[in-house]
Amino acid sequence: MTTHMSSLREFFIVRKAHHAFRQPDQDVYALARRFAAEGASPLERSVRRHLHVLRSEKPVVFPEERIAFMRTVTKLPELYTPEEMEALRAKHWLHEQGEVCNINVDYTMLMCCGFDAKRSQLLELAAAREAAGEAEAARYLRAQESILAAAQALADAYAREAQAVGNRTVADVLSHVPAKAPRSFLEALQMLRILHYVMWCGHNYHNTVGRFDQYMYPWFAKDLEAGVYNEETALELLEEFFLTVNRDSDLYTGMQQGDNGQSMVLGGLNPDGTDSYNLLSELCLKASLELKLIDPKINLRVHKDTPMSAYILGSELTKQGLGFPQYSNDDVVIPGLMDLGYSREDAHNYVVAACWEFIIPGRAMDIPNIGAVSLARAVTEAVLEDLTACPDYASFCDKVKEKIVRQADAVQEQVKNLFVFPAPYVSLMMEGCVEQARDVSLGCVYNNYGLHGTGVATAADSLEVIDRYVYGDGSITPERLVRCLQTDFEGEDELLTKLRYHTPKMGNHEDCVDDRAVWLLDTFADALEGRRNERGGIFRAGTGSAMYYVWHPQDLPASPDGRRAREALGANYSPSLFMRAKGPVSILHSFARPNLRRVINGGPLTIELHDTVFRNAEAVAKVAALVRSYMLMGGHQLQLNAVNRQTLEDAQRHPENYRNLIVRVWGWSGYFVELDKVYQDHIMQRMELAL
Amino acid sequence: MAEGIVFDIKEFSVYDGPGIRQTVFLKGCPLRCSWCHNPEGLTAAPQIMVSRSACTDCGKCREVCSGGTCSLCGRCVAVCPNQARRIAGERMSAQALAQMIMRDAAYYAACGGGVTFSGGEPLMQHRFVVETVGLLDDVHCAIETSGYADPEVFERVISRMQFVMMDIKLMDDAMHRAHTGVSNERILTNARTLLHSGLPCRIRVPLIPGVSDTQENLRATAEFVARHRAGAKVELLPYHKTAGAKYEMIGMRYAPRFDPERQVQTRKDIFKAYGLECDVL
Repeated sequence: MTTHMSSLREFFIVRKAHHAFRQPDQDVYALARRFAAEGASPLERSVRRHLHVLRSEKPVVFPEERIAFMRTVTKLPELYTPEEMEALRAKHWLHEQGEVCNINVDYTMLMCCGFDAKRSQLLELAAAREAAGEAEAARYLRAQESILAAAQALADAYAREAQAVGNRTVADVLSHVPAKAPRSFLEALQMLRILHYVMWCGHNYHNTVGRFDQYMYPWFAKDLEAGVYNEETALELLEEFFLTVNRDSDLYTGMQQGDNGQSMVLGGLNPDGTDSYNLLSELCLKASLELKLIDPKINLRVHKDTPMSAYILGSELTKQGLGFPQYSNDDVVIPGLMDLGYSREDAHNYVVAACWEFIIPGRAMDIPNIGAVSLARAVTEAVLEDLTACPDYASFCDKVKEKIVRQADAVQEQVKNLFVFPAPYVSLMMEGCVEQARDVSLGCVYNNYGLHGTGVATAADSLEVIDRYVYGDGSITPERLVRCLQTDFEGEDELLTKLRYHTPKMGNHEDCVDDRAVWLLDTFADALEGRRNERGGIFRAGTGSAMYYVWHPQDLPASPDGRRAREALGANYSPSLFMRAKGPVSILHSFARPNLRRVINGGPLTIELHDTVFRNAEAVAKVAALVRSYMLMGGHQLQLNAVNRQTLEDAQRHPENYRNLIVRVWGWSGYFVELDKVYQDHIMQRMELAL
Repeated sequence: MAEGIVFDIKEFSVYDGPGIRQTVFLKGCPLRCSWCHNPEGLTAAPQIMVSRSACTDCGKCREVCSGGTCSLCGRCVAVCPNQARRIAGERMSAQALAQMIMRDAAYYAACGGGVTFSGGEPLMQHRFVVETVGLLDDVHCAIETSGYADPEVFERVISRMQFVMMDIKLMDDAMHRAHTGVSNERILTNARTLLHSGLPCRIRVPLIPGVSDTQENLRATAEFVARHRAGAKVELLPYHKTAGAKYEMIGMRYAPRFDPERQVQTRKDIFKAYGLECDVL
């Protein structure tokens, strides 16, 4: 890292000196109450809030920086009062906070023309709509224009401030962007920063950075060719951009601090079979490696011909303990998405949403985390409701299937009558929204919903117990197993120990139990096949968990695999927390066995490796080979963590010494000491599996 | 059919030879190095291991125990609710071990690796090792050894290997006796054989603070290695304070005959000065 970068990192990350410029918190319901009193429409609320935030922002420019924009408004106003929200929730399904979130916009839709041209276009289209008697459409387009105008005004204020503090670089850049399309890499980065920043100001959270190495490449390559930068100076500038993504991240909404969806996807197959991994992809990995920050969260797209060097660089990054990169396998994901009806070109252009769900930039208003099916619950319920009446294992499996279908029915029913708050600014970067004057909150090219599937290992291990001991050797009667689940194994200590520790588990490369996972995931995919949502989209099955690994077990009784009541499930696609794993090779084999192409909503196999396996370059290359092997076996997505339990124990005792300790939580990385204890503890429990 | 005693098979070994490997740990060792971090590998016979930190003293193990000398019946292992007990050391036939190795052999081969025999001291079970290797089909085999064995045995075993990692712990014989319990004479003889054999190999030096990490010892080691194979590769293994972790589990006391708190000297430069390649693990 250059001294310039170290001093910026020290200023923004270590000292957080820019926080001094933040404005005092405002009443987040002040605007909502006014809207309620006026009976303002959803669109009006959304636009007025956006304008309010942009106009409340105060420009702050630091002398050393080349890429400006920081948030001074700390809390974003709500659109609705709590009473209104309650009424809305009674009438509608509101996904999360109701906002357009967790998608990836096509930034080039604004970057390739600049605000001026876009504003003229919007006004022209509005006039045409008006002339055609389409007042509502005209109003919508004008609203979009007004947000760009407010963003431009803020950029102009930043430009003046840059002049005032003597930062010529920022002043020069802002004299051109965002009004006009960027001409240089620096201008493109500043424009992207503004686009992203304005999106956050509109409370559109968890919208990702996407295929940065692809859409930024033309500007990067041009400057590199012209000699404006060499690799080293380009890396420094890139790092400066990465740093800007971390400036305001503590203000972003999320389940936990760090869960902010700023994921970046690098590389990937082109439709013609060539690889898009380029020099900028490599520099992004290097920037992340040097900076060691939680954002952007790096995802690497790989395929059977990805060179070892990319995996090695990725493993160097894993060694830092940031919990990324996360790998996804084009050879499985692309065909899987095409099976689901995504076009060939779109499937090749996939990115991950905030965590790991596969979505399409600029075209998908998918809600890939709209709900979850608990596979562990399905098995448990089948035991409690039907085991004593099932004559054989096959008929028991039919019952498990029924429960999975029942849960899917329930989610499908629950998410009906979806209402998403209008997002006119985001819509500027989503296909067809301007042309049709139709907000993206109402849908886009793809409108699919995704369901996580939690506790697959717990479910498979439970099926193993049932087939082996209830229908197999008959050592457990159905009544006894039912009683164990009802009473949390009261008085059954020995049986509990046998089921928990001395019965085959998914993750130890034993086909008997791994095949049950194959069946479970196929059954989950079958249960969703053919279902349609009210937007004409489909339901996709996945292997992720999000926070459901902590939520689902809260009211889940004990399970047949010896998991006690309320005991947590593994995060995402991973072995049960108390299994004794033979090692990562067995885990990879087990978890590559299911038909992952069918459960392609996303959700990585998550493995913790002890940090001692990264001691030297040769060992790092072996980790890289391990990662690659999972992809060659047909794995879909993988996320490795380098961990050291002692470090985390010490961090719990002395958080003050570990302010910058980063860990992977579920689909994102965060600062360990800022997590709620339940998540800290789960991470430490997961580490007992560290290999 | 030879039978052996295996106390662990580890997947994804990254420091036990080229590529990704599976490592088979064979029980029993003729040396008694006071820094040994695998004390369950010392005695040849299987033994019970108990994790005191995981034990809640619930008494379940005592309830099922028939008392007297432990017969390794495993009942206490089966009932322990905390997975605090296990038996280190499983008797198996060469055929059974070969079968286990072959299961993922293609995987390891694709990752540039194979199998490594470690311990304990694998040469103590040389018949078992040789027979197992004979049953493997196209598997890259490596061994990690102290080299303390009859030279004839040593030669016979390494001739079946594609890669050898051998320790030279201390060059001074008196020191070697004092810290490992045996003379280094056979070890140096075998080291010479190995270095002259042309087999791909690594000489490993455990860096024990104040014992083997001294300039004199490292220089003598470097001189010895360089004399018998120019440009040989040496790996230094710095002592880790976690070495004592497993002693209590087998009812032993960890009693290092050196100061574990002392800073380890990692002098790669000494080896480089003799034209040797040197890496620290």
